[in-house]
Amino acid sequence: MLRRFVAATALGGFAIALVLVIDAAAQTNYKVPRLPDGHPDFQGFWNNTTYTPLERPKGIDRQFFTKEEVVEQMKRAASEEAEQTTPGTVADVHYDFTQFGLDRSQAPLAINLRTSLIVDPADGHLPPMTEEGKRLNAARADARKRAGAITDAAQNQPLSVRCILMDRDGPPMLAGAYNNNYQIVQAPDTVMILVEMLHSPRIIPTNGRPALPASIRQIEGSSRGHWDGDTLVIETTNFTDMFMFAFQGASADMKLTERFTRTSDDTLTYRFTVDDPKVWTRPWTAEVPWKKAIGPIFEHACHEGNYSLTNLLRGAREDEKRAKGASK
Amino acid sequence: MACAVPAPAQTRGAYRAPRTADGKPNLNGIYQAITEAYWDIEPHNAAPGQIRELGASNAVPGGLGITDGPLPYKPEALAKKKENFANRLKLDPEIKCYLPGTPRGMYMPFPFQIIQTPAYIMIVSSYARAVRTIYMTNQTEAPADSWMGWSNGHWEGETLVIDTTGFNDQSWFDRAGNFHSDQLHVVERITATDADHLSYEATIEDPQTFMRPWKISLPIYRRLEKNAQLLEFNCVPFVEDLIYGALRKPSSN
Amino acid sequence: MRTTFIAIVALGAWLVAAPLVAHHAFSSEFDINKPLKLTGTLTKWEMINPHSWFHMDVKQSDGTVVPWLVEGGSPNQLIRLGVTKNTLKAGTEFTIEGYQARDGTNKAVGRNFILSDGSRYLFGGSAPGAGGADK
Repeated sequence: MLRRFVAATALGGFAIALVLVIDAAAQTNYKVPRLPDGHPDFQGFWNNTTYTPLERPKGIDRQFFTKEEVVEQMKRAASEEAEQTTPGTVADVHYDFTQFGLDRSQAPLAINLRTSLIVDPADGHLPPMTEEGKRLNAARADARKRAGAITDAAQNQPLSVRCILMDRDGPPMLAGAYNNNYQIVQAPDTVMILVEMLHSPRIIPTNGRPALPASIRQIEGSSRGHWDGDTLVIETTNFTDMFMFAFQGASADMKLTERFTRTSDDTLTYRFTVDDPKVWTRPWTAEVPWKKAIGPIFEHACHEGNYSLTNLLRGAREDEKRAKGASK
Repeated sequence: MACAVPAPAQTRGAYRAPRTADGKPNLNGIYQAITEAYWDIEPHNAAPGQIRELGASNAVPGGLGITDGPLPYKPEALAKKKENFANRLKLDPEIKCYLPGTPRGMYMPFPFQIIQTPAYIMIVSSYARAVRTIYMTNQTEAPADSWMGWSNGHWEGETLVIDTTGFNDQSWFDRAGNFHSDQLHVVERITATDADHLSYEATIEDPQTFMRPWKISLPIYRRLEKNAQLLEFNCVPFVEDLIYGALRKPSSN
Repeated sequence: MRTTFIAIVALGAWLVAAPLVAHHAFSSEFDINKPLKLTGTLTKWEMINPHSWFHMDVKQSDGTVVPWLVEGGSPNQLIRLGVTKNTLKAGTEFTIEGYQARDGTNKAVGRNFILSDGSRYLFGGSAPGAGGADK
């Protein structure tokens, strides 16, 4: 029984069929399946694992790699990630992802030839920050510094370690190390996206209900959806500052617009625009192909099972006691 | 709307809910239970709270309960229930923002939303963003244990029947320490009784904890506000000092 | 073609493995200076998130049995591949190579989980002797 799983791994081989994604407009002869209300059917399980960085790497000024280059990059990454880490290094103090099927190369993946997820600005980089944006983020960095070492308190840890928010949740929804899975269900007037990490429900009304008042703020903002032809458009506002601690330096007044278009049977094209004039001199847009995946999504009860946070805090306190004892 | 001949199991004159595109009763919407059962599912007296500074805000309102009789605990389980009650301030998972489990999530004082499709019915509570996935097709056994359980559902006329197993033993039924083991098996029957009400019944079976199955039942109400929606109640940040405060570095503020 | 080769080489830097945040938290929880190797029998695999936990009974040299708790990965992808709570049988013997918890208790993170025949527990990956190539 166990050996079956051993054989099923295909490191560097990418056994699952891959879809080439060059441009969302390429698949124009694809007929999207429709629900009884006529809207496109995006339902099912999807995965947004990617090897593409948000910003274009230094020294690259092309918009696209060739397919051969990307396949080679992915093969190398897969074999590096599968290799045994060196004992005594930080990377070695971790369970091996590949043993749990959690390695990037073991995820369903839509090959992306883009050199960056950012498609606008055309240089593939975040636009310049405004003076206010720089001030805001300097103040955040200062607050984090004054709070002390990250092991001083639970609240000093990243939101992901605290099981409050992960990149997969966002919004925008971006892949993390593993379990980059989503389930979409569509009812009349409502789209729900179940994000695997944190088992997080995004409930998006599509019946034109008005946004929340500006005084109501939420970690994941408040989302309103509508259809623009065959594209699902989700507009999210009403973020809090706590969330903004995590995402690229944005402010709580960010307006996020996400667009989903089903460009083939097994690809959902996800495009998002960040409009935050407080922080950036202009809006910026990124695009990520999502690949069809399998279910189910098992309950990710992160906070309930968060022994790690207790253990690392206790460990830090023990280290301090030992250091105190040693210095006596 | 066509007049359907009632199915044999139904009472004559029973409400026929509007249909979804796939011909099933349409239960989409936002609902909330109005009951004192979240304090104690059994009949109970009004009682003081446990936090002096909260005074009447934290006191327990009396309630007539939603159970069909005294809970049939096995003797050793009854002793544990009493211990739970005595130590509820330390032990109640709700206090730590843990998932409520099933059926507790259905009668907590928070709205929940039913999002219904042919293959999946999602029940999402605004309390701790608890999600239940009800599998209407491709039904399997629970692969592993979870807080909310693994739910398989089917329709019996107007009634959504949900059969849930695969629970861990961590959740409670209420704030009074009523608890279960991982042998818990819950069968719920949810029926729209008119445009704005559901009848909710659940049969609880747990041979490790109770001598026989028992039932709860209560009406559930549609939230009728024009702007009714689930607001975010991500309570994890609210409980970090409670859970991790003792492990904070002493010199830090 | 040379340009392509240079591009690939230059890109190696950003195609790194899993984000460092996860590893950093782990090296705060477990002690890089306390590597260990434990052999014992599985009593239970707690299939929970964010990380699963293997309960194992480890026989000491003096014959006593000590329970250990070993941290592993999220079970979610394995569940998608058909693994259930019935897959890993209690009593299975295995070895873990890992690091002990900083707080000094009988907890560890399992870097590698290895069966008595040398193959990897769960997904085999590229460990020597790991399962056949019958893919």
